[in-house]
Amino acid sequence: MNISKTIVGHRATVQICFWVLAMLLIIGLWQAVIVIGQVPHFVMPTPAATIDLLFSNAPMIGKLMWQTFKETLAGYAIGAALGLALAVGMAKLPLTGRLLYPALVTSQAIPIVGIAAPLVILFGFGMTPKLIIVAWIVFFPVVVNVMDGLAQVDPDQINLARLLGGTRLRTFLIVELPACLGPLFSGLKIGASYAVTGAVIGEWTASSRMGLGTYLLSANAQMNTAGVYAAMMLMTLIGVGSFVSLLVIEYLATPWRHRATSHRHQAR
Amino acid sequence: MSHAFGANRVLSDINLDIAAGEFVCILGASGCGKSTLFNAMSGLLKIDSGSIRLDDEDLIGKPGRVGYMLQKDLLLPWRTALDNIVLGASLTRGATARDRDKAVELAVHYGLGGYLDHYPHALSGGMRQRIALLRTIAAGSDVMLLDEPFGALDSLTRFTMQRLLLRVSSELKRTIMFVTHDIDEALFLADRVIIMLPNPGRIERILDVNLGRPREVECMASPRFMELKASALKLLYAESQEEVSLRS
Repeated sequence: MNISKTIVGHRATVQICFWVLAMLLIIGLWQAVIVIGQVPHFVMPTPAATIDLLFSNAPMIGKLMWQTFKETLAGYAIGAALGLALAVGMAKLPLTGRLLYPALVTSQAIPIVGIAAPLVILFGFGMTPKLIIVAWIVFFPVVVNVMDGLAQVDPDQINLARLLGGTRLRTFLIVELPACLGPLFSGLKIGASYAVTGAVIGEWTASSRMGLGTYLLSANAQMNTAGVYAAMMLMTLIGVGSFVSLLVIEYLATPWRHRATSHRHQAR
Repeated sequence: MSHAFGANRVLSDINLDIAAGEFVCILGASGCGKSTLFNAMSGLLKIDSGSIRLDDEDLIGKPGRVGYMLQKDLLLPWRTALDNIVLGASLTRGATARDRDKAVELAVHYGLGGYLDHYPHALSGGMRQRIALLRTIAAGSDVMLLDEPFGALDSLTRFTMQRLLLRVSSELKRTIMFVTHDIDEALFLADRVIIMLPNPGRIERILDVNLGRPREVECMASPRFMELKASALKLLYAESQEEVSLRS
């Protein structure tokens, strides 16, 4: 047991090292562009200057980030739940599913900026249009992936459940749904990296409250490049943070992929 | 009973009567209707004509009345060995502590006690098939249909599993129907071997395997065993020779 635990711990450490290294590489590339291209500060601030601005305005920027984070998270949760529910509904009611599918694809073909304006007209300047935009972006990869997952469940497995006298609900919960966890997390991860974009576009179209998106616009108008880059950095942080959180949740939710035994009931 | 898929008569006048606690092997080449027969008996397939009865109960179109096991173990990767064994209870009404206790008892008795908290991916093919067998037993049906359950195992593991199955059969008194295309396996396990032939799928002969029980590996070298094997070979082989002569 000790050995396998150490191996798992070791793999996690390696994984974290790669992530940190990748982030440092991106910042290093940024610095290199400025040094090699001799880019002046008003065009592109250095990473150091950007980070310095973040720390000197920490309370204000913290509030902005919290606002954008809230919009992203709430919209994401709604979108993910809706996506999962839709996928299950569409898989279980094939006729409805076939009717809805083209509509879903169409929904994603509409440019998201195009949706933002009518949403403001409909719902005003509050939280609602932002949540809808984020959910709009997030639900699609979840629906598509979970539907594929449900379609790919081994028919023999379903037959076995029938032969064991399984009820439809229990068969779904015990056999079909867990089989979709992989595709579900793929969809959720794709959605996680896009969700911030939705929140920022929502803020750009109309916002009564300041978030990172609105801050970016005003910093841009004031030629405050460090502010623009700071906002960008934090948006990225939300996106990457969501993605990494999902990796961790997926790891914890699927112990059978990386453990030989379960904690829950030891052999008696 | 009879059944056809289009013009293909997969089951032609199949008539079988199996006693409680009997171990019957169905031996035949692919296409002889073994799997169709099992699908019909398990309630997954509705046959064209005839009846299938367990005591006085009609089985046609009623899944869940008999146990079923395939070559694929079909274990759920996200459930531990124990959770896979109690799957039948989980799927019908939710597994209780009593179901689990009984499953643990069964597993300990049949040599799986130390692996109950393992996920299937961490176990060997033989272990996984053992879990699948216990799952079928734990589901509680008196009749178990086993469709080439050991077909994918290496010969040593396969032999271990055959002996395990013989133990299960004698200790639990379940009625077992076992499909295989391995003559030795059929004769080693069964009270009766039903030889089926294809085109149309039919019962050619039923051999009584009067080898006595309990059976040990030595019986496979006995004259009686050889005699039975010779007649089984002749019955199965005659058909394919005919085919060859028809083609040439």
